[in-house]
Amino acid sequence: MKVISLFNGRDLTGWHMLPGKAPAFVVADGVIETRTAGGSDLFTVERFGNYVLRFEYLLSKVGNSGVLIRCDPADPWTTGVEVQLLAPWTPHRDDLHCTGSLYGYVAVTNRPDETTGIWHSMEIRCDRTAIEVSVDGQLTTVADTVKVAALNKKLVSGAIGFQANHGEPGEFAKFRKVELGNLDADPAYVLQGLSHADARFRVQAREAAVALRAIMVGPLARSMDGGEVMAQSVARQALFDIVAAASAPQTAPGMRAAVAQALQATLKTKPSEITAGYLTWLQGMIR
Amino acid sequence: MKQIIGRRGFLQQSGAALLATPLLARSQTKAPPSERIRVAHIGTGGMGNGHISWFSDFADVETVALCDVDSVRLAQSAKRLVERKPAAKPELYGDFRRVLERKDIDVVTCATPDHWHALIAMMAFESGKDVYGEKPLSYTLREGQRMEQVMLRNKAVFQLGTQIHAGNNYHRVAEIIRSGALGKIGTVRLWKTGGTKGLGFPGNETPPATLDWNMWLGPAPFVEYTPVRCHGSFRSFFDYSGGVFADFWCHIADVMFMALHPTGLTSIDARGEIPSDGIADTPHWIDVDFRFKDLDVHWTTKPPQVPGADGMSIGAHFEGEKGTLTCDYESCTIRINNEVLTDLTDLPVTMPRSPGHQRNFLDAVKSRGVPESNLPYARQMTAPMHLALASFRLKRKLTWDSATETVVGDPAANYLLSRTNRAPFG
Repeated sequence: MKVISLFNGRDLTGWHMLPGKAPAFVVADGVIETRTAGGSDLFTVERFGNYVLRFEYLLSKVGNSGVLIRCDPADPWTTGVEVQLLAPWTPHRDDLHCTGSLYGYVAVTNRPDETTGIWHSMEIRCDRTAIEVSVDGQLTTVADTVKVAALNKKLVSGAIGFQANHGEPGEFAKFRKVELGNLDADPAYVLQGLSHADARFRVQAREAAVALRAIMVGPLARSMDGGEVMAQSVARQALFDIVAAASAPQTAPGMRAAVAQALQATLKTKPSEITAGYLTWLQGMIR
Repeated sequence: MKQIIGRRGFLQQSGAALLATPLLARSQTKAPPSERIRVAHIGTGGMGNGHISWFSDFADVETVALCDVDSVRLAQSAKRLVERKPAAKPELYGDFRRVLERKDIDVVTCATPDHWHALIAMMAFESGKDVYGEKPLSYTLREGQRMEQVMLRNKAVFQLGTQIHAGNNYHRVAEIIRSGALGKIGTVRLWKTGGTKGLGFPGNETPPATLDWNMWLGPAPFVEYTPVRCHGSFRSFFDYSGGVFADFWCHIADVMFMALHPTGLTSIDARGEIPSDGIADTPHWIDVDFRFKDLDVHWTTKPPQVPGADGMSIGAHFEGEKGTLTCDYESCTIRINNEVLTDLTDLPVTMPRSPGHQRNFLDAVKSRGVPESNLPYARQMTAPMHLALASFRLKRKLTWDSATETVVGDPAANYLLSRTNRAPFG
């Protein structure tokens, strides 16, 4: 899995705060820091569905922050979920509201080290209906969104956010080494989603396949020839959308050529007559 | 096949080559049809049964043939017809080509799925018949262009069967708009609620022995049989149609074309989604912005935010400088200043009313005249629908050159305006 850095260590490129609210985050000494009371939370510009997010965090003595996942920045707590980051005292919070919990929805089953003033690492894994949180390499929280009704209503992809300092003025949270492995960039992972029982994840897989363009043409054609009606149907639409996107007047010629070549190469692998007919028809769109 | 070699130019384009026996050319000196019009109906599903009833009720119509690829439906329709008109002795066909071979048939009506409309009409024109065809006019925009050429070449008569066109309400709306009572109309909003349902993920089946699935597919790509692809829900698939949007565009855009006949379409920008819960691939919802010369037209799947539209499942809303008019098939509401009216009683009736959509067509067949929903009119009315669906599928705005009837700078969009028919149907 290819891992990308979400924080360049210098500035907040790739992130944004909400207009009309005081900016609550700065970059200082190579780390992201939130110290002012209130103000805007910090969100990635890009939206992500399935991923492994890793970062390090440090809380002040009574620090209170959090990580928002799969959220719409306009209404992050309704649309997404907060993975809590919290100093463990004043007052003491239970396992449903402590660091590593899906705040208010899923408690930790293996409470992490909550020592403040030192750097900890956190990993959040969003794998379709499975959400897992680990702190300092130890799995703390396992959530199945199918089984938690409130979670099942949340978005299945969205921005990633850091919550502005939620403690008293002067308390703070710091973040560094923010990295993301995007599962939706892995063709094999995307293919599994084509026949997901939940329509939202089928749409997510289709959109992920379209974003991957040429590399998905062959695998999708093979899905069309597989035995699963769902996968056949979603793959067929994804192929159309890939070629449609490649055919757009503003698309780079290289991208268009890559899709055309992938169609041609796939036709040489002797797909079924129906699939071959479809691919040939699609070829006409970018000839 | 020898006799059709001279028609190769047409045959290569239209798919008429699938005719296994010689076509019957319309004689240049053909006399007007006799007083009795001999009618054949192709496609005997729900809409086809409507055709059968409407036409058989005319004293000067003799229903001589019924045709369907589904022999169960065909037998049911024949039974209904004979119950309604005991004197009727229709011959029954599974292959419409056999119907077109007959020299004693004047008129063919077509209520097949959309992907057959243009081919059947063109082949009927070539075999000397007039056509009452169901909407939409054609499966592709280019087919519509060829239909018009073939009709003109054969001096045939064609009516696009929209039915509502003939009613008083659309005529009255057109009179009010054309009168200028609402001032210049700058915007029209059209809508139809509801969209394609997903239809689940059913597996393939062996087609019933009573259904000629290959012929049902005809020019469309071959696929294995699944019941939901066929009767009743075929419009859910782009291989055969364009969803609820394609089903209803002609019905409600019709009143706009009657009233304003917008020209100079320059841009089409559609957005929407397909269903996520099944194999259907046509719009679950679709909103489209059209820019015509001096007119903005907006199609929405939800009623627009204008007074009175909420709760109307289909409608047209005209926005003029002096007032607005909101209508559907049967009703009309005019808002001028703070007054809400159902008619402008001082405004005289100026447009001749239709004797009925089918009667108007039959009269044109006899007089060799031009019916009210004729092919050039229907083609202009249908073109924006095809372009909207191309924009929807490609997820981008299209720029249209009305003079050359081509999408500007987007070969893929132009590609989607035609389809190579599956052999031997093209």
